[in-house]
Amino acid sequence: MQFTILNLLLTLGIFTIIVVSIFLFQYRRLRDSLAGREKEMSRRMYQLSILRELGERIGYSLRIDQIVEIIAASLRRLLDYSTVSYMLISTTADGKSKIAFSINLEKPVNKLFIEDVKKTMLISINTLLEKNFKSEDLDETVSGTITDPTAEEKVGSFFNVPIVIAGEAVGILNIASVQNQRYMQKEVEILYTIMNQASDAVTKLQHVLDIEKGKLNSMVASMADGVMMIDKGKQLTVINPVAKAMLGLEKHVTIFDVLDSLSNVIDFRTKLEESIDKDRLVVAPAITLNDKVFQILITPVKDKQDVSLGAVVILHDVTKEKELEKMREDFTNMMVHELRSPLTGVRGIANLLVTDKVKNDAVKYADFVSLIQTNTEDMLGLVNDLLDVAKLDSGKFQLIKKPSDISELIQRRVASFKALADQNNLSLEAKIAPDVPGNFNFDEHKISQVLNNLISNSIKFTDPGGKVTVSAFLLPAGKDLAEKVVEQSLVWPGLKKGVNVKSEMLMIGVTDTGVGISNEKIGKLFNKFVQLESTAKSEKKGTGLGLVVSKGIIEAHQGKIGVFSEPGEGTTFYFTLPINQVINKDPNQGS
Amino acid sequence: MSKILVIEDDPAIRKAVAEGLRQDDFEVETGGDAEQGMEILGRFEPNLILLDLILPGKNGFEFLKEIKASVKLSKIPVIILSNLGDQEEVQQALKLGAEDFLIKADYNLSEVVEIIKKHLSKS
Repeated sequence: MQFTILNLLLTLGIFTIIVVSIFLFQYRRLRDSLAGREKEMSRRMYQLSILRELGERIGYSLRIDQIVEIIAASLRRLLDYSTVSYMLISTTADGKSKIAFSINLEKPVNKLFIEDVKKTMLISINTLLEKNFKSEDLDETVSGTITDPTAEEKVGSFFNVPIVIAGEAVGILNIASVQNQRYMQKEVEILYTIMNQASDAVTKLQHVLDIEKGKLNSMVASMADGVMMIDKGKQLTVINPVAKAMLGLEKHVTIFDVLDSLSNVIDFRTKLEESIDKDRLVVAPAITLNDKVFQILITPVKDKQDVSLGAVVILHDVTKEKELEKMREDFTNMMVHELRSPLTGVRGIANLLVTDKVKNDAVKYADFVSLIQTNTEDMLGLVNDLLDVAKLDSGKFQLIKKPSDISELIQRRVASFKALADQNNLSLEAKIAPDVPGNFNFDEHKISQVLNNLISNSIKFTDPGGKVTVSAFLLPAGKDLAEKVVEQSLVWPGLKKGVNVKSEMLMIGVTDTGVGISNEKIGKLFNKFVQLESTAKSEKKGTGLGLVVSKGIIEAHQGKIGVFSEPGEGTTFYFTLPINQVINKDPNQGS
Repeated sequence: MSKILVIEDDPAIRKAVAEGLRQDDFEVETGGDAEQGMEILGRFEPNLILLDLILPGKNGFEFLKEIKASVKLSKIPVIILSNLGDQEEVQQALKLGAEDFLIKADYNLSEVVEIIKKHLSKS
């Protein structure tokens, strides 16, 4: 039994020892791992705090040298070192690579120490980039505390961390100390992590900037004006497709191509220099190139610090404006001519009326007086038309609408032209449909003016033996005009199927059997500039502004005026008037 | 008695000029366009032609060119009486062989007659 108890005790003791040892072992492991974690945690926290600080201090800077500078300045809380240095590669305008070397002395070291750091960093950067930079390639900056010639310590330990942006190594960061074996794996790792995160942030920022730049580029590319950006070195940095097309250039374009294509029309280089050097907007108002007229604006561009970056050149196509300007000038010239001609006649005749020969000849006298009458009436007509056109242009054209009888008005107008038609051996008649309403609102005087104009035109342009018909009928909404014209037993040369109105309209047409008008000329009929000029050169009397004024009158009534014509067969000038007070600004009735 | 051909499309000016010249004992024929002018030249031999430039159909420049190209008519002096008067137009008319270029608004009727007389006395 004793044996058994002893045995049991022994077994228990062994068991206890095993359990305790296991427990102790586990406890130690737990404690070690806790301590490790705590260390790890504090390391992480530190990294985080540095990163946050970096984030705040970097802001949105893309200058890698500034970022490295900030990292270097934060390191003293993390590591013990003598110097922190960096080398950064940059490319100059002429394509050469340059290395900026910056060393910050935390503790006084001698010159030899600095040379040592430089040497090890050069070896490292050459290995990293597979280049062969020498110390002459360095652009050196020394900062921090003073160098100490008496100090004798050499570099005891150091480590390099590559600086990588968007997957590309651009330099290295170096930490060096006079003490031997100062840096362990952990310190190196921390710096690696910080460096990586910083370069990540820069890469992301760069990406955002690239997107923004892309947006800007596509905006410039889609602009209607030609845009070029020329930098201070007179290099072409941006040219959009419109500018290329305007200058007649293709694909890859240099500043020389631009100067070449403009060489015959403008001294572009001088203008550019004037803009950049004198810092002012330079405008070339009208440059003719490849049958187009351009306005060229050269604007100097500066950055926030007022440093010149070059110039932006805008090419603005003013061909249309110039054409319009010329039309206006021609119009004024023709107008003056049209007034001067009858005035000269009146003056000549007035000179004669005082001579005895004419005074004593009753027939001649009467003839001359009637010429003065005709001329002054022509002039008054022109002045009235011009005034109407001016009122239309300025929107001061006013209608006096009251209930009136359109059928009666047409009959009266036709009757008044009967004598002129007979004189020209033309038949003139009115065909008014019975359903034309007796009374509705319109400006009787103005519509009368339109009818006068259309009827007198038709008589003027129809050869003897021809026919002029004034017709009026209702055109219901959606009804085909060509069908309706046939139903009314009318013939409108040039009218094809497919013309209708959106709401019921009164349709009034003046049809002749004259020479007709070509499609090309129809488009110009209602243009005041073209009209006055062409009538001045034709044998037909009249200002040619009548149609322009008529168009204004009809449009003021919310109606539409237009032409159907077939060369050789005849022409119909028509206009519509809304009869049930429905305002329809765009009756779909093109011809 | 000198004979004058007036080509002018404006009836008032045409009549006034013709009457003014007749009062000074000129024999005058008038035409409203280049075509009528040529037709008159077939039967009437003027000592001088007074020509407007803006004419319906063929313009005054073309008419002048035709006259100066004709062996029979090229010797007749031509005076332009026009509303035009740009340097360019004056140069063109003189180059084509016109004796003088008068702008309508600048001369009254009696002055035009005096200038015609002066040119006739020269030739």
